[in-house]
Amino acid sequence: MPAPKLSRRAFIRLLSLIGIGSGLALLERITQPIGAAKFVQWQARSRYQQFLAPRAVVALIECPSYQAEIVQKLSDFWNAAGMPKVHGQKVLIKPNLVDTVAERPAITAPQATLAVVDLLKGMGASQVSVGDGPAFRREAQSVLSGSGLIEALKDRNVPFIDLNYDDPQPLPAQKDWFIGIKEIWLPRHVVEADLIISLPKMKMHHWAGASLSLKNLLGVLPGCRYGWPKNFIHFRGITASILGLYQMLPPVAAIVDGVVGMEGDGPVFGMPVAHGVLAMGADPLAVDITCARLMGFEPWEVEHLGMAAYSGLGQFSRIETIGASFDQLKRNYQRPPSI
Amino acid sequence: MTDALSFLLDSQVNSQGWGYGVNHAPVVEATAVVALYLRRFSAADAALQRALQWLEAIQHEDGGWGLNALDAESGWHTAWALLALKRCAGASPAIAAGSRWLLQVEVMRFQDAELLADGRRVAGIDFALGGWSWLPGEASWVEPTAIAMLALQDSPLGEAAQPRLEEAVRYLVDRRCPGGGWNVGNPMMFDALLPARAAPTAWSLMALHALAPEVILAEDIQTLRGEMAQDGGLLALSWGLLALRLLGEDSPEAESQLLAAQSENGSWQDNPYLTAIAALALRGEF
Repeated sequence: MPAPKLSRRAFIRLLSLIGIGSGLALLERITQPIGAAKFVQWQARSRYQQFLAPRAVVALIECPSYQAEIVQKLSDFWNAAGMPKVHGQKVLIKPNLVDTVAERPAITAPQATLAVVDLLKGMGASQVSVGDGPAFRREAQSVLSGSGLIEALKDRNVPFIDLNYDDPQPLPAQKDWFIGIKEIWLPRHVVEADLIISLPKMKMHHWAGASLSLKNLLGVLPGCRYGWPKNFIHFRGITASILGLYQMLPPVAAIVDGVVGMEGDGPVFGMPVAHGVLAMGADPLAVDITCARLMGFEPWEVEHLGMAAYSGLGQFSRIETIGASFDQLKRNYQRPPSI
Repeated sequence: MTDALSFLLDSQVNSQGWGYGVNHAPVVEATAVVALYLRRFSAADAALQRALQWLEAIQHEDGGWGLNALDAESGWHTAWALLALKRCAGASPAIAAGSRWLLQVEVMRFQDAELLADGRRVAGIDFALGGWSWLPGEASWVEPTAIAMLALQDSPLGEAAQPRLEEAVRYLVDRRCPGGGWNVGNPMMFDALLPARAAPTAWSLMALHALAPEVILAEDIQTLRGEMAQDGGLLALSWGLLALRLLGEDSPEAESQLLAAQSENGSWQDNPYLTAIAALALRGEF
């Protein structure tokens, strides 16, 4: 019996299949450790943000002091900045309450937090709560003692939630971001929120570069599961932890307290910068990139911002700023020390 | 403290343990602390036995405990479960298994000379020394180290526990802040001296008092008093007062502040965990 003859068409098909297979194998290899499928997904998402997604709007609001009318200033720009509707929503405000040291502006100013509370209540949010899980102190009360925040919240009938102890529950970990981890524990008020307003201090961070609205989210990880400090983050990688966590949360919008920022040895021991700005937007990545530029960074110098842009977790290329002049507000914060 | 007892008995969840708030799921740490308080009350015996049974029921096969019944990973909570079982129930296979887990759990240690030099330069500490971490394989920190030391004191494993306990004493001495006292475990970072805090100072003092009282300095106690006065938190007051009393000292101011903070229902902030710690501090016994 004669050997089967390979037709020219079949030969070309075979060559094509070999070529495609080799290409995929090569792609899989050069895209390790994330792999080809994830690489393609990230690239598609990133290109979508770059070319097709709507522009992100970031409002830059001049605010020379905490005695200013912050509620009115935020209200004036809320809709124009594309902030989410809050009427009837359960909203958790997440300030940065990492720790407190005299003369160091490490935490979000209580006046900024109270202004956002008043604004959200005025806009008809069904439930407003304020919460954080300090990284270095067993009790949030220790960080807030003397600030007047807890008393002022009581006057407004708004609960303060110590997220380190908020009846945490396990959720499936964001695939591919927490390697080897099946579940991440999150506080009850975080899981049940319709919207989280990340309300960080604008500051430098000696491990993460800059600490803004995305980095601020790490404070929701409950200390009663992960400890004080939340060493888990460092062992899983700060960038992967920030971005993996962000994707597990309810929708997040950002308001950054840069009225007094922190330069140098943040997140706790840096020095104050009288910057006089609030930044607000519905896309935390766009807000953080804008704030990083205001602080004198190129966004890709902050690893988690570069990685968020690379993987398409928000708008990074078409950001429209409204309100005050970016150029007039731009500063060059002193960089943090590093090893 | 009868009112605190009533509150705690009423807030036991599903006849199991206690959470960090009323109607919160029971967790190991809060249950252990409440059990330590209840063990002196005959009226609480049934509730205590149910709590101890719950603790034994949720012990992992590896001998450790996680945050609660849903947590499959063993971690720092193991030391709390051991403390409660050892002081409330006496010897048992659960205690032996838990002690083995705690003794064998690994922590991160640097051996590389360059990294050790970086650790000394940047953080002012010796990264070769290990205590206990919050979760397996991570870096050592003051609180889990101190609680593990207390849990392994008089361990059923006997002499086998000694080398690690001795290293833990050296770890705490190394992590002491300039001027005395402890924080989470970083006495400095870059050029900044990080302040001591009340709660970790109290835990360290309790552990060192049990295992190496000779290394306690007068500055540690002064620092604790100073931090208790300015911290503003109930945990700082409670752990601080308890540590002082175990050291044979006292703080009438802290006692007055604690009593003033108690609610009409006998609790502190409607929180079983805070209530048990405050009540233990006022009783002066751990």
